Formats: sequence, C-alpha cells, structure tokens
Amino acid sequence: MRISVGKLGLFWTFFEPFFQAFIFVSVHSFVLKASSYNYPLFMASGIIAFFMFRNILYGAKGAFLANRGLFSYRQVKPIDTIIARVLLESFLTGIVILTFLLYGYYFYYEVEAKNLLMVSLGYLWLILFASGFGLLVAVGNTFFASIGKFVTLLSFGLLVFSAVFYPVASLTPEIQKIILYNPLTHFMEMIHGYYVEGLDDRYVDYGYMAIWTLSLWFAGLWLYLRLEKRIISQ
Amino acid sequence: MIELKNVTKYFHTHEGRKYILKEVSLTLPDLNIGIMGRNGSGKSTLMRMLGKIEFPNRGKIISPNSFSWPLALSGGFVGTMTGKANIKFVCRLYGKSKTETKEILAFVEDFTELNEYFYMPIKTYSAGMKARLGFGLSLAFDFDYLLIDETLSVGDVNFRNKAYNALKKKIENCHVLLVSHHMKMLREICQAGILVNEGELYYYEKIDDAIAHYQSVNKEWGRR
Repeated sequence: MRISVGKLGLFWTFFEPFFQAFIFVSVHSFVLKASSYNYPLFMASGIIAFFMFRNILYGAKGAFLANRGLFSYRQVKPIDTIIARVLLESFLTGIVILTFLLYGYYFYYEVEAKNLLMVSLGYLWLILFASGFGLLVAVGNTFFASIGKFVTLLSFGLLVFSAVFYPVASLTPEIQKIILYNPLTHFMEMIHGYYVEGLDDRYVDYGYMAIWTLSLWFAGLWLYLRLEKRIISQ
Repeated sequence: MIELKNVTKYFHTHEGRKYILKEVSLTLPDLNIGIMGRNGSGKSTLMRMLGKIEFPNRGKIISPNSFSWPLALSGGFVGTMTGKANIKFVCRLYGKSKTETKEILAFVEDFTELNEYFYMPIKTYSAGMKARLGFGLSLAFDFDYLLIDETLSVGDVNFRNKAYNALKKKIENCHVLLVSHHMKMLREICQAGILVNEGELYYYEKIDDAIAHYQSVNKEWGRR
C-alpha cells in the first residue's frame, strides 16, 4: 500500500498537494497580477482533484502486478485489487480535502464552495472516470509494459494541458478549442466553476464527459472480461 | 473425486505450442496422490488448474470437493504486508470470525517459529520462511484436498520433520495432492501416483508403479 511505503508515506500524502499548490500560488502571485477570483482556492481544488486522478491511475496501473501473489486464492479476482486501490485513493483524497478545509477555517480563510453539491458530483464523477481509465491501463499494462510508461508520461502532460492551474476562460479561443478535446479539462472546469466565486461551467460539456467515462469503462471491462483468466495465471 | 474431461492445456513458446496435457480424460479417486514429472513437465500447472487459478484451454475439470490454494514456492502473499497481516487477510477471505482468526494467528505464529519475522514484511523473508508460513497457514484450514507443490522440500531439517509429522496428522481428515521429488516422502504419504510427461498423464493406483515409470522416463532422458 502507498501509505506503508516508508515512514514518511503518510506525510507525503498530505504534503505533496499542499506543496504543489503552494508553488503554483506563489509563482502566480509573483508573475501575474491579482486575479478576479480566489486563486489559492482555485489552485487547491484543482491540484487535489488532479492528484486524485493521477493517484487512482497509477494505483490501478500496478494493481495486478503488485497483487499477483494474492491470485493464488481463487476468491481474489484481479478487478478486486483495482476496486481496493480506487477506494483507498478516494478515501485518502477525502482526508486531504478535510485537512485543507480545517486549515482554511483555522486561519479564517474563505474556503466555502459556491455549490458544494456540484463540486462533490465533480469529484465523484472524476473517480469514476479515473477508475475506468485505470482499469483499461491495468489490463494493457499486464501484457505490454510500455503502456505503463506511456501513462506516466501522459499524466505529466495532462497536468499542464488540463486547465488545472488556469481557467479555460483565460486562454485564446484557438487554444480553448484544442484543450477542450481533453476530457480532463472538462472535469477541472466543472470543479473550479462550482467551487470558486466568479467562475462558471460555461465551457463544460457534460455529454462529452459522459461519453468518455462510458467508453473507457466499456473498453476496460470488455478487455478485462476477455483477459481475466490470462491475468490470473500470468 | 476429481474428473478430468478432455482436458487440453498448452503454452505458447517460440517453437509453437507446448502441450502440458493433450485431450486427457481421467477420474481420480479420493486418495493421497503423489505427482511426479521432470522440471517443466506441467506438474505445477496441473496443481494450479486444480486450484482454479489456471484454466485449461479446452475441456473441464470437475470435482465436488473443496481444494486448498496451491501451496507453491511463489505467490500467496503480498510482499509489502507483514506475515501477520497476510494471514489475517486469508482468514477474512475464508470468512473466519474474529475469535477464529485470533486462534489461527496464534497457531501459525507458534507453528512456523518465525519469531520477529512474523511481524515483518514478506519481502524480507527467505524462500524457506515463506514456505513455512504458507504451510502453517494451510494447516489451519479444512479442505477436502490439500495442494502442495514442493513447498515441503525447502525448509531446514528441523522444520521439515515438523511439517512432515503435521502433514501426516492432517491427512487423517483430508487428502493431499503432493508434488515432490523426494521419493521417500511420496512413498510414505501417498497411495496413488501420477506421472506428467510430454502431454500425457499416467495414473497408477500404486505409488511404487508411478515411481518406477518416472525413473524409467528419467533414465531415457539421461540417455538422450
């Protein structure tokens, strides 16, 4: 498990998003002028969501290989390991969010969401999206190790091209068009738009998000069911 | 009783398909059966198929009995979790209650004599220690068939004797399918024998006949 890796595993779980958000906020305040919306809050909600996406993806990616020993017991199906890891990462994200909120309240910082219900929906949907993607990657990674390597590179690019630390509205129309092909951008816009006062979800295409989520799950499950036996006996 | 119906199992290799079993139909009675064969002949694959973690390419294996997980030299544990945590996990897997789990933990800790290693991650274990833990754990559960794949041959002498005696006691209430290269152990534990060789499965009601066949196969390979 992630937490048990070294004595500082738990520390990094909390500190990593905090540190990243801090860097982006400081760069922003040095380089750019003050924005019309609450930028630290914008950063934190985006970075935490992105890290959750990335951690679910990474967790799922290695789930089959790391738990191969457990496939000796016929009760354990490979998909169980993915479910366990998705639950673990979601739970950890929940704790990280709570820590951020408590920290904000303690310093009388304005941390309340504009529409908490929609933000929660955004996070839950992102979990669903990430786990579908993760399942697909996990099955692929079992047979082609280069898929895992590619996903590591991909997630690095996604951090930059998913509107995590800038709103889509701040981009030129040409770039907006390109970046909105990226489904993760929509998730980030949705979470930002409903969290931060002064932003909205005008660029979010919910149908596009649903198609991506369904396609990933469909492809992932289809491949998984076809290859389950081979994954067990690998 | 274990029934094999037209079971075919092969692996893809560089030189095409390598058959482990080729259209094998056979009914095995409820006996302690020793399984022999050269390295790579498919003994472990057969065990894994009986444990339902490997699947025949064609055909079926049918049995009304319950089987343990295949106790092999690799697998069965998560490396980053401690021995104790792994045991707890398996207890939960088999639906044991809290008190039962406590008893099993105490039994395994005592039986395996791993001492402080019991509370350390599995990745710090040696092969022998892993085999101890796996074997100790399997003793704590009740199955119709125990599937043991060479794990008894890696421990040190002390433990081997202890495991051997424990196994003898255990098979008063259950059967065992034992993969081993120790002919003496096979003779003492098993009544019947199976030889896996080049896609064929030879069943003998007397273990001595199986051993004799195995030795003649070995001689033949030695001459080649």
